Amino acid sequence: MRRYETIIIVRPNIAEDEIEAIAAKTTSIIEGDGGTILRIDKWGLKKLAYLIKKESQGYYVFVDYAGIPASVAEIERVYRIDDRILKYLTVKIAEACNPEAVKEQLAQAEQLRGSEDTDMDEESELRAEEEAD
Amino acid sequence: MPPKKRIFPRQKVCRFCADKSLVIDYKEVRTLRNFVTERGKIIPRRIYGNCAKHQRKLTDAIKKARQIALMPYSGPTYL
Repeated sequence: MRRYETIIIVRPNIAEDEIEAIAAKTTSIIEGDGGTILRIDKWGLKKLAYLIKKESQGYYVFVDYAGIPASVAEIERVYRIDDRILKYLTVKIAEACNPEAVKEQLAQAEQLRGSEDTDMDEESELRAEEEAD
Repeated sequence: MPPKKRIFPRQKVCRFCADKSLVIDYKEVRTLRNFVTERGKIIPRRIYGNCAKHQRKLTDAIKKARQIALMPYSGPTYL
């Protein structure tokens, strides 16, 4: 298993459920080859740095997964056929990947971030109280 | 002929070596933006004194960001 991440740029006028369908298609290809999805992030509508297929905006979808090279080839083949997808980029993150371990790491990172957030909230609350006094 | 002026430039330290928390990632355009000109050109490492290793990673990241339209190949960065 290798760890990859793929960014897909979808046309801006595409409905939310169609984006969901594209994500589901990606998931099914990866999991069909025995891979694991680690994370799917929808970054939402962003301005493109340059025009792609005459579009100046794009809907970014980020997929982090563990998979085999063949599934990457298949995903990219599907994307090239699909008219709704403006562009994609796949980057290999790690040569070897243990999906379980990475998932745990991600969860831990999430927790850390969560606790930091609460700390921040407490601080701001304190500050608010001081101001109130 | 006046004697050649000898300029001792200030010793510059690689920002990424000094600050380990600063990571080079093609998705983090905010950090990359500091290392390109207004027109989107990559700034040579003699300017900021990046070390060779980090400058290499930086250029790779900028080029990836360009491919996926997070950064421009040319033109102003008005995002």
